[in-house]
Amino acid sequence: MNNDWLLKNTFHHTAFRDLSRLAAAKNEKNLTISLCLPTLNEEKTIAKEIIIMKSELMIRFPIIDEIIVVDSGSTDNTREIAESYGAAVYDSSSILPHLENFTGKGENLWKALYITHGDIIVYLDADIKNIHHRFVYALLGPLLTTDTIKYSKAFYDRPLTLDQQKTRPTGGGRVTELIVRPLFSLFFPELTQILQPLSGEYAGYRDLFEKIPFPIGYGVETSMILDIYEKWGLDVIAQVDLDQRVHRNQDNKALGQMSFVILKTFLNRIEKLGHIELPKPVYKEMIQYNRIPGEYQAEVFRIEGHERPPMTTIAEYCEKFKKPLTPAD
Amino acid sequence: MRRNVSPASNSIQLGEVLKKLPVFEEQLRAIKETIISNILLIGQVPAPTFEESNRAEVFLERLSDSQIDICATDDYSNPIGIIKGRTGGNKPPIFLVAHLDTFIAGDVDHNYTIRKNSITGPGVLDNSVSVGVLASIPFICQSLDLSFESDIVLAGVTQSIGKGNLQGIRHLLKTWEGPIRGAVIMEGEKLGRLNYYSEGIIRGEIECKIPAPGNWEERYKPNAILILNEVINEILAMSLPQRPRSRVIIGKIDGGFKHGVIAYDARLGFEIQSDSDPMVKQMYNEIKDIVDGISHEHNVALKLNPISTLNACTLKYRHPLVKSTVAIMKRLGITPVSESSESELSIFLANKIPAVTLGLTDGKNIHLDHASMKIDPVFTGIAQVLGVIMAMDQGVCDEQ
Repeated sequence: MNNDWLLKNTFHHTAFRDLSRLAAAKNEKNLTISLCLPTLNEEKTIAKEIIIMKSELMIRFPIIDEIIVVDSGSTDNTREIAESYGAAVYDSSSILPHLENFTGKGENLWKALYITHGDIIVYLDADIKNIHHRFVYALLGPLLTTDTIKYSKAFYDRPLTLDQQKTRPTGGGRVTELIVRPLFSLFFPELTQILQPLSGEYAGYRDLFEKIPFPIGYGVETSMILDIYEKWGLDVIAQVDLDQRVHRNQDNKALGQMSFVILKTFLNRIEKLGHIELPKPVYKEMIQYNRIPGEYQAEVFRIEGHERPPMTTIAEYCEKFKKPLTPAD
Repeated sequence: MRRNVSPASNSIQLGEVLKKLPVFEEQLRAIKETIISNILLIGQVPAPTFEESNRAEVFLERLSDSQIDICATDDYSNPIGIIKGRTGGNKPPIFLVAHLDTFIAGDVDHNYTIRKNSITGPGVLDNSVSVGVLASIPFICQSLDLSFESDIVLAGVTQSIGKGNLQGIRHLLKTWEGPIRGAVIMEGEKLGRLNYYSEGIIRGEIECKIPAPGNWEERYKPNAILILNEVINEILAMSLPQRPRSRVIIGKIDGGFKHGVIAYDARLGFEIQSDSDPMVKQMYNEIKDIVDGISHEHNVALKLNPISTLNACTLKYRHPLVKSTVAIMKRLGITPVSESSESELSIFLANKIPAVTLGLTDGKNIHLDHASMKIDPVFTGIAQVLGVIMAMDQGVCDEQ
């Protein structure tokens, strides 16, 4: 197994601890950076993320230029709290309103491309309890300090200890280890070097994000890796160890639904890439059963599998960012 | 320490300080993100007494990030930062102190929640808010363009509460070379708190241990909890004088194994408090007699262990530091409330260093896992601390 990429493109957050160096690198490259937080009922954690990033990476060190929140219709105080701490808050449905409205994390990330201004965009889940500014500056580190890396992805806990005999788990979640890693192993063994492909924290150049499609839901992380890998190769990707991340745990039912979406996205991608040929379309419903007194009750989770096209196919986007419009597939 | 500063000069200088205070509040609100970030980043690191090293490390890291002139730990693991004064060490330093340790166990989830005007999480009021503010002082001074003649020593002291017995501050003051001009001790709760005297105390624990039965016929042994109940009854029957004001607080009790089994061990935590050190000693001896008597009568092992002692010490209300602090608080619309405090204050006063303890904000559930502090009052709380430091630095607090 070739693990050259893992050795070369895996970083630890402490390598980027010198924030004045990062600020200088950003300045030298004449870049702007946007931080996007997609939300849906995150009132317990959103303020922390905004406050720490604003304090450390805007006020103390001029690294981030804007913080935006794209909200999927929270019913708690997420939006109000985010606004009170100075983030620009957008209702996802109000962005490009003439398009059909979808709800999902991928939808928010895609629409963030339209409303942010940065050359680099950092996407951060809004439910991180132990938030620290390393979650952002460490992702920016490889992008700002190298000329080759265009996309960086977080992982947590430590990877295989490369220079010692003993090994430790890579810290991937259940869906990663039971679904994504087996699929990568079957179809793209090189990608197994990405230790936590489903981590919700990543940063990249706009030039990349605008050229790839975004599934509107959970599949966005998987498809993003596959698309970047297929278009630009593994060498533009880096992964950064952010130590520990504490977040909400999901139950098995929710993880089952997440797995369903990821599998569907994956099958769709590998079919497009010519790795498999499905004789007929896969179904759109995930069926789970609940045991209630006297019977077993089916619960159906339906996923349409909508996907947003690359932003460069959207006229408003190309006009705003003065990019050539590319034809949709 | 004594300096010759005329009262007229004092009042002019204090007047200058008082004028600036409302502006400070607004300037502090403008940098709230950094102050809150420090409260979060430090407060989310567990720091039960004797296990403060991780928090101390983060505290030092935050000071270092602020480009403070000096930061290091002393040989007792107290993390210290120093903002160098303009006089290059000609004036004695002013200490700003907050204890690092909390009552909260290390395995409790320390992740805080922030809402529009509150921060909720274990230990936030006692005393993470103060440590966060302490770590913010260099950035605050830069942002408000403040500089001082004296060095400002920012001390996050370890082993303060409970069995820590204020060992961190005791050690720091014992090993500090040279005079100290004065000190402000910060506590999270409550805005308006002004402590400038402390009572004499002895804090102790009474432990009752009964050997577990070896044979079936030994199963009806004395019950350790009931033995301690006897002790409590006799303590409550002690005659305490109105003057000097004295009392015994029964603060903690634990023991036993399970509901249906006689308790073989039990512990009682208590504190004797009095304005008079001899009275504290006398009451302690009386409790010792009670313990010895019950031990003898019931034929059980009953032990009295002293945990800590503090001598009574005080600044007078007319002391310039107290008078200036009251004026500063009133200028900010804070009503000062004074009572005795047995904290770092006692150690400064015992070392003849003028000091006050100030509360920073309001909140609720101070010692519960869901303790909550209000954000907005903390800016007033910090402004009063800055005011007192400035007043000290200008000499208005030096004794005539």
